[in-house]
Amino acid sequence: MTDRPRLVLIGLLIALYAGVPMILGGNLYLMSNIVAALTIGGIALAWALLGNLGGMVSFGHAAFFGVGAYVSALCVMKLGIPVFAALLFGGIGAAFASILIAPALRLRGPYFALSVLAYAHIFRIIATEWKGLTNGSGGLSSIPRFPELFGVDFGSKVGSYLIVLTLVLLFAGIYHLVRRSDYGLALRAMHDSEAATRVVGVNSLVLKALMLLLSAFMAGVMGAFNAHYINFLEPDYAFSGLWTTLPIVAAIFGGYRTIVGPIVGAVVVYLVDQLIFKSLIASGHQIILGALLIAMILWSPGGLLPRMAGFFKRRRHAEA
Amino acid sequence: MLKLDEVTVRFGGLTAVNRVSLDVAEGGIVGLVGPNGAGKTTLFNAISGLVNPKSGAIRFAGSDISRWPQHRRARAGLGRTFQIPQPLAQLTVRENLIVAQRFGAGAVEMTRIDELLALVNLSGKADRDAATALSLSELKALEVAKAMATNPQLLLLDEVLAGLESASKRAFSDMLRKVHERFRVGLLIIEHDIETISALCPRVVVLNFGEVIADGTPDQVFRDARVIESYTGHGGE
Repeated sequence: MTDRPRLVLIGLLIALYAGVPMILGGNLYLMSNIVAALTIGGIALAWALLGNLGGMVSFGHAAFFGVGAYVSALCVMKLGIPVFAALLFGGIGAAFASILIAPALRLRGPYFALSVLAYAHIFRIIATEWKGLTNGSGGLSSIPRFPELFGVDFGSKVGSYLIVLTLVLLFAGIYHLVRRSDYGLALRAMHDSEAATRVVGVNSLVLKALMLLLSAFMAGVMGAFNAHYINFLEPDYAFSGLWTTLPIVAAIFGGYRTIVGPIVGAVVVYLVDQLIFKSLIASGHQIILGALLIAMILWSPGGLLPRMAGFFKRRRHAEA
Repeated sequence: MLKLDEVTVRFGGLTAVNRVSLDVAEGGIVGLVGPNGAGKTTLFNAISGLVNPKSGAIRFAGSDISRWPQHRRARAGLGRTFQIPQPLAQLTVRENLIVAQRFGAGAVEMTRIDELLALVNLSGKADRDAATALSLSELKALEVAKAMATNPQLLLLDEVLAGLESASKRAFSDMLRKVHERFRVGLLIIEHDIETISALCPRVVVLNFGEVIADGTPDQVFRDARVIESYTGHGGE
C-alpha cells in the first residue's frame, strides 16, 4: 500500500470511530438507523462473499441471521455465556446450520438459490415449533444487552454502533484476505471453468462449502449482534425475508463484486429509504427503493462502487 | 504407471468405450488415434474422472482410482488438457499456473512456474489475462503448462495440436518433447495427424467404436488392415 491510500484509510477509520459518534451520537434516531444499516451491510457483505467468491446466489441468508440470533440469545439466557462470547457462538451456530444446507451445493444457479430458500423456511418452522427452547411464536424478550466495558456502555446506541462497525470492518478484512489468497484465486477460476479447476487438483465442493460456512458465520454473527441490540426475538422477525432481500438489494446497489460496495450500498439504501422516502410516503416507500435499484442496474450493472471508481480514474487521468 | 483393465463407459444405450485394456509405462509416450467418435475423449474423461466407467478398473501408480474424484486424481499425478482449451478464466497466465501448482502439487514454487512458462514460450504473457489475451496456439501451450504445474507423472493430451498450422505443429511437438525430457513425464496423446503422431510416439494405440483394434509401433499400426479400414471404410491391400 502506498502512502496516500493508507492515509485515506486512517482518516476514514478516525471519522468512523470518533467523528460519527461525536457529531451524530446525540441524534438517537439517526444512530439507530445507522446501526440497522450497518447490520444489513454486514449481511450484504456475507451474501456478496458467497456470490462473488463461491459463485452462489442465496435467497436464504435470513436463516443464518435468525439461527445466529437465536443461538446467541439462548447461549446467554440459558447457559449464562457472556454476551460478547455469545456472538461467536451465534456465528458458529449459523455455520452449523449451513452444513445442513451443504447437500444443496451440488445444485447450481436458481436451483441452489431456491433450495436455500426452502431450507431457510425449515429453520423458521423449528424456531416456531420448538416451544420449550424458543418459546415459539411468543418469542424471547429481555435478551441481555451488551455490557459496559472499559468505561464504554456498549448497550447504548453509540456503543452498539461501535460494535457493529467493528464487526463489519473485521468481516471486510477477512473477505479481503480470503480473496487475495490462493483459495481466492481458485474460487475466482471456478466461476467460469469449474471442470478445468478440478482437473488441476482443486476440490471445488470443499472450497464452495468453506465459503458457505464463512458467509453463514458472518450472517449469524450479525443476527446475534442484532438480538442483543434490540433485546427481543420472535421467529417471524428473526427469520423475516427482509433479512435476505434488503442485503441483496444493498449488495447489488453498491456493487457485489467489490468488498466495500455491499457496505456502502446498505448504508445508502437503508438511510435514504428510512430518512427520505419514508417521510415522503409513509407506507409502501419501498417502491421508490425498487425503482432506484432498477435504475442502478440499468445505469451500472456492476453497482455504485465500480462506477465511482471509474469516475475517479477518469478524473485523475484528466488532471494528469 | 497407468493400467486400464476392461474399462467400459456407457451413455444410456450407447457403449462409448468397450472393455478397453491398456498399459502406459512410466515416462512413456503413447499415441491414441482413431476416427471421430471412436471414444478417445471419453476414455480420457474416464481416466481423469469426468465420467464414471460402467465396469472395469483404472489403476494409476498402484492404486485403483476408478472411483476417485477428479481433484484427487490430479493430486495423485494425473494431468490432462482439454481439446477446447479451458484457461482458468478471470486469472492471469501466471495465476493459472499458481492455482494448478498450489492445489495439484501442494505448494507454490515460483522458479518452476517461470521455467514452465519459458518452456512453453509464455514468459512474455505471464501477467496477461489468460482467457482473453492469448492466441489459439498460446492457449494450447497454456493447457500444457497448467497441467504440468500440477507436477504430473502422466499427462493426457487431448488433441493439443489440432487446429494448428504445420509449422506451429512442429514447434509444438518439439516443445512437448522438451517437456517430456525435462520432467520425465509420461504422455498419452490423442492426435489425428498421422505424421505428427508417428514422429512423436514410439507406440500407438488405435481405438474404433470404443474398442482397441491395434497396438504397436506407428509403422505396424498404420499398415494394419483393420486400422486402414476404420479410417477409409475400405480394407487395405
